[in-house]
Amino acid sequence: MNRKKSGVVVSVVLFFVLACSTGAMAQTSAPIKIGFMGNLSAAFSLSAKGAAQMAVDEMNSAGGIAGRPLELIVEDTKGEIPKAVELYKKLVMTDKVSAVVIGEKVEMAVAGMEIGAELFREFPHIMFSTIGSGDVIWHHVRDNYEKYKFGFQTYYSVSTNYLNIWGPLNAQVFKELAGAKKVALVYEDMEWTKPLRKGLKDVSPPLKEVYAQNGLKVVYETTLSTDQKMFTSVFEEIAAMEADVIDATVGYIDEGALIKQWEQSSARDLPLYIWGGLAGMPPAWKVTEGKCLGVLVGSSMIRVPITEKTIPFMDNLMGKYKVGPIFGSHTTYDTLYGFKKAAENAGGVGNIEALIKSLENVEEVAVLGTIGWDAKLHYNLPYPKYVTPIVQWQKEGDQGAMKVIFPAEYANAKYMPPAELRK
Amino acid sequence: MLAYKLQSVLVYAFVWGSIYLLISLGFSLICGVLRIFHLGYGVTFVLAAYGTWALMHELQLGLWPAIGLMFVVQIAFALLVFYKGIFQRYLEQEEILLTLSMLVFLAVTHLANYSYPVTAGVSIPTTIIDGTFKIGKVRLSYQMLFAALTGIGVTLVFVWMFLKTRVGLIIRAMSQDIQASRLMGADVSRMYFLAMALSVIPPTICVLMIAPFWSVDPLMGAPLLTTAMLVSILGGLGNLKGSIVASYLIGFIHAFISFFYVSRFMGFAALVITLLVMIFKRGGLYPGETIW
Repeated sequence: MNRKKSGVVVSVVLFFVLACSTGAMAQTSAPIKIGFMGNLSAAFSLSAKGAAQMAVDEMNSAGGIAGRPLELIVEDTKGEIPKAVELYKKLVMTDKVSAVVIGEKVEMAVAGMEIGAELFREFPHIMFSTIGSGDVIWHHVRDNYEKYKFGFQTYYSVSTNYLNIWGPLNAQVFKELAGAKKVALVYEDMEWTKPLRKGLKDVSPPLKEVYAQNGLKVVYETTLSTDQKMFTSVFEEIAAMEADVIDATVGYIDEGALIKQWEQSSARDLPLYIWGGLAGMPPAWKVTEGKCLGVLVGSSMIRVPITEKTIPFMDNLMGKYKVGPIFGSHTTYDTLYGFKKAAENAGGVGNIEALIKSLENVEEVAVLGTIGWDAKLHYNLPYPKYVTPIVQWQKEGDQGAMKVIFPAEYANAKYMPPAELRK
Repeated sequence: MLAYKLQSVLVYAFVWGSIYLLISLGFSLICGVLRIFHLGYGVTFVLAAYGTWALMHELQLGLWPAIGLMFVVQIAFALLVFYKGIFQRYLEQEEILLTLSMLVFLAVTHLANYSYPVTAGVSIPTTIIDGTFKIGKVRLSYQMLFAALTGIGVTLVFVWMFLKTRVGLIIRAMSQDIQASRLMGADVSRMYFLAMALSVIPPTICVLMIAPFWSVDPLMGAPLLTTAMLVSILGGLGNLKGSIVASYLIGFIHAFISFFYVSRFMGFAALVITLLVMIFKRGGLYPGETIW
């Protein structure tokens, strides 16, 4: 009887041991879930979604993260903030994702960050904003690290970097490549250009002074409205002020009209440098009927191997996922690889504090250089780690092509004055 | 510098004013004849651009055949969708008429965006002469000058038609008193039909002329509709004389503000002036009781 009793006890213990170990095995081999939210009617979100899917598929083919496969859960915010909040909650609370990638404008990321902060204690997770521009995300982290430490931003446009890094670099490009001494500054009337116009307290003076410190005289300064269609007067005045180069800190205004009217103005021989937007996308040539010839623009949509990942990323995204690599796709793809390496360094995604510390210290080869995040402020490491080349629209046969002219190590063409290109 | 700025204001007030006239002529015509505030008018601009593009790229037509066919499509759309589909049915129920017109405009805009997003690189190669020239100290592009001259030319044709032809006489009579015109034997339905068909011509020509220096995108209809509305309101709804004066006045305000203050402010300045005019001269610069 005793023997029988002890047999039963042993069987029960064995059953529980087996059950627990199977549960643990299931836990360790269960997929790591990643949520993606975006406005799936917008080209940039669709491109970012394609890039996220590509990264997940590649990682799964290579064995996942620490042996666990990844599962991407895609949600469509339709560009509406209440919907974004609802979906963020669903991803974190119901799907129990380890990370949420928000691939659309910054307002969505801010909304996600707020609801994420409320949920974080009960549902630890990481939030990445991979398209949202400006300083709001990292300002949250800077001002209340404990509350918002789960939030990370991967995008090019951070004012501190604009003023401290890109301002001097632009000045260098204008002086060395275009031989400029006098610059005309044209801003668009949006929040992201405000620090450039006004400066950042305790960080940097305005762009005008940054240029002055770097040997460029600003002879004209104006701000354009986002709904403006007529720019002729601006270009005529710039020409009258005898500027050598036009620096247009714009990305959201009607760049098609801006470029067309520049090309049909007295300022057409002055190099026009545009910070981003349509001018840096391949359709700009068609949209402007080739009038963008000679325009300089910061663009990541170039076929120049910044790393071994650059060209395969572009080819696969278009070939297999049928979306073009526009802004936000590179950053989304690189973010997920940064996340993978950080998770592996942290021994998985189970310990959120270890994962956050790992993200703060990680560096991984990326499409556009090296992906990693500032340890205190959580924006991605800027140039020269993460590169947005300056390209110039030049001719390639009958068509136009974006040629990299800066940084020198990635250049595949030399800068040429617009007048010379038109000959 | 002052002389240069004054010359610039004069030249650009003329050029921009003439272009605004071309933008708003069709809107004024509908206001004057049908007495409808046509919120779907923006469709014409989108159809003109995207219709031409689609015909060139989907049917592989050349530019001129595409433009010709697009005019047919434009007129058919105005007559069948707006006139037959909405205006005729809801002429007495203005709120439904306005809502439906606006919805059609939004639907076409979204369809254009869905079919040919910005990444499709839509453009219309209608540059007549590339390059620029100088008038005194002011540089101007040939295309802008042609667009301005076209605006004046189209307006003159319309004015001639209203003043010198029998059809114009009937339309003027209808714009003054529809019931009296009916009693006098005017075929009102036929004239409405004609007015609708005529109303798409100026905005279509406008898009073709301004495309080389204006942006062609799916949302282009909204700002152009706003300009047309502003001109018509300032001039007096449905009064062509008023529209002509208002176009040049807004052109002058835009040019003056751009060259003497800051271009970002020009839209706001025109709105403020329009508001002031409306406060002190209700109904706009010219009474809207007649088309001429």
